[in-house]
Amino acid sequence: MAGTALLSVRNLTVEFDGRAGRLRAVDAISFDVLAEETLALVGESGCGKTVTGLSLLRLVPQPPGHIVAGEVLLDGEDLLALPERALRRLRGRDIAMIFQEPMTALNPVFSIGAQLGTVLRRHQGLSRRAARARALELLEQVGIPEPARRIDEYPHQLSGGQRQRVMIAMALSCGPRLLVADEPTTALDVTTQAQVLAEIGRLQRELRMAMILVTHDLGIVAESCDRAAVMYCGRIVEMRTTAALFSTPHHPYTVGLLEAIPRIREERLADLPVIPGRVPDLAQLPAGCHFAARCPRATDLCREVVPAPLPTADGGLVACHHPYP
Amino acid sequence: MDVLRFALRKLLAGVPLILGVTLLSFTLMVHFGPDRTFELLGKNPTTEQIAELRHQLGYDQPFLLRYGQYLRELLTLDFGHSDATGEKVASLLARSIPVSLALVLPGFVLGNLLGVALALLAASCRGRWPDRLIMAAAVFGMSISFLVVIFVFQIWFCTSHGLDLFPVRGWGMADVPDYLRHVTVPTLAVVFVALGYNTRFYRAVIVEEMERDHVRTARAFGSPPLRLFCRDILKNCAIPIITRITFTIPAIVIGGALLLETSFGIPGAGKVTYEAIISGDQPVLKAVVGLTAMLFVAALLVADILYRVVDPRVSLE
Ligand SMILES: Nc1ncnc2c1ncn2[C@@H]1O[C@H](COP(=O)(O)OP(=O)(O)OP(=O)(O)O)[C@@H](O)[C@H]1O
Ligand code: SF4
Ligand SMILES: [Mg+2]
Repeated sequence: MAGTALLSVRNLTVEFDGRAGRLRAVDAISFDVLAEETLALVGESGCGKTVTGLSLLRLVPQPPGHIVAGEVLLDGEDLLALPERALRRLRGRDIAMIFQEPMTALNPVFSIGAQLGTVLRRHQGLSRRAARARALELLEQVGIPEPARRIDEYPHQLSGGQRQRVMIAMALSCGPRLLVADEPTTALDVTTQAQVLAEIGRLQRELRMAMILVTHDLGIVAESCDRAAVMYCGRIVEMRTTAALFSTPHHPYTVGLLEAIPRIREERLADLPVIPGRVPDLAQLPAGCHFAARCPRATDLCREVVPAPLPTADGGLVACHHPYP
Repeated sequence: MDVLRFALRKLLAGVPLILGVTLLSFTLMVHFGPDRTFELLGKNPTTEQIAELRHQLGYDQPFLLRYGQYLRELLTLDFGHSDATGEKVASLLARSIPVSLALVLPGFVLGNLLGVALALLAASCRGRWPDRLIMAAAVFGMSISFLVVIFVFQIWFCTSHGLDLFPVRGWGMADVPDYLRHVTVPTLAVVFVALGYNTRFYRAVIVEEMERDHVRTARAFGSPPLRLFCRDILKNCAIPIITRITFTIPAIVIGGALLLETSFGIPGAGKVTYEAIISGDQPVLKAVVGLTAMLFVAALLVADILYRVVDPRVSLE
């Protein structure tokens, strides 16, 4: 039933207390995730992708983090206003998350069967036996070889790819409606990356889940996402369908990212900066558009006034005073 | 079976350790320890008398031979007789070590259990008032000297200035009420003094563990706080906790109870050791030093086995 918003994020703002004072890691971002669609969250390291994902389930470490404003509406219910108990019932059951660091995301002192079983018993009310049987099924489903043996092993006995598969199994165990996959393959080697991504895509279609796929790999976006939100310094600067984003990028930052793809491949050795200039320090963000210092189209207006997100002709959004046509 | 073989191997590995520690302490005792010759012979002994006595005492034998005898004593637990009282050292220790254990263990166990519990509570409220309160109390407890605690508790619990519920001094283990009467105040003192240190240590361990990725995963899958702290996190903290506990035991069995035993007039191993040091009672000292070394090796072994039980990453190889 594509078209209805499963998740609506409104005006989400997250800040961290740091040595240099408070910094705003996520700045009033809004986006929707439609049922069964895959939304990519793209951007350079540190732009707030993980923090956005964590905020959806109120998992931002607190202290030093604070979700200072916003709403996260799942079927119209604001998760940020939910009491802790109600939220716990939802975590892993309605929204599940796969993390960036497969090597450390599992508990080292419990067997993977025990960890899967715990989640199944908690959310599905399964008995110990049924949970184990289901865990075996899940391991099989995500492509773990010899699941009957692996189920009693501990995370350190598994490779990174296998651990990430276990995380996927755990995330899918309760049939969530939304999967937040935070760079699920970044820590893996290239062959494993492709396999794990294909696995996630297949299971997503089978289970008819919506997914937020966090990545900084535009190749992955092109291959497996319906829409993409490009983030820069805590703000969404452009959000379009994947096809539109790749054919007519409007935001200068998006243009820079896209131009960087062939350049990275051909001139890796030349060590050219992907986009001229550096990402500004979050503690000392400029007024106006955060991208102004690196933007070829910047004007005085850009340095003074924050560009508001405006709808594009194809139903997307772009936040720029002088977008490319 | 694996564990058994592992234990045996560790035990064998402990042998050189025991040899090293005992050799070192024996050397120190021989060179710097008391020499009883002149104490026994009075002011003006003749050279023959000296030689004669030194021969009787075994002082003239080669070092290695004496060390070998010491090892045999350790193996057979037969340390001869006390110089001071003439009592068999083995029976002296058999009498006093159980008293020390009975005296210190309740406080030790309670101090650690309460320490872990308070640390869990503090860590789970990190930065909020329960945490601040517990940590402030811990620092307060740590900053008061053990002796002061003992005296205040004695006045408070044992005299007519306070509750006057327990005897000030003495010991008895004839039956449970007798034991409780004598052990309560020392236990309270031990808990009071140990709790601050334990809580701070355990809280630091738990807080470090709280920041690990797997804790975030557990929360992302709906783990409730009680389970999160008492299972997911605590099991990961087991290694530092086990280390701290097992390595305190040898120390408290032999020496740690000294202050308690002297203050409460309790005939335990701490007091025996103290008196042996004062009077230069070599047979007793040799026994205490050797047993302490062996106890430490045993603690090492127990800790190693427990590590394996709680943490699958620690291999038996
Ligand atoms: N635990 C934290 N403490 C302090 N600041 C944090 C913390 N986590 C995130 N931040 C801040 O939030 C910003 C965004 O971090 P986030 O992890 O969301 O980046 P990201 O887009 O996921 O980057 P990456 O691609 O490297 O994963 C960081 O630049 C950092 O300053
Ligand atoms: S608002 Fe101005 S500075 Fe920012 S991206 Fe657009 S043109 Fe560049
Ligand atoms: Mg990240």
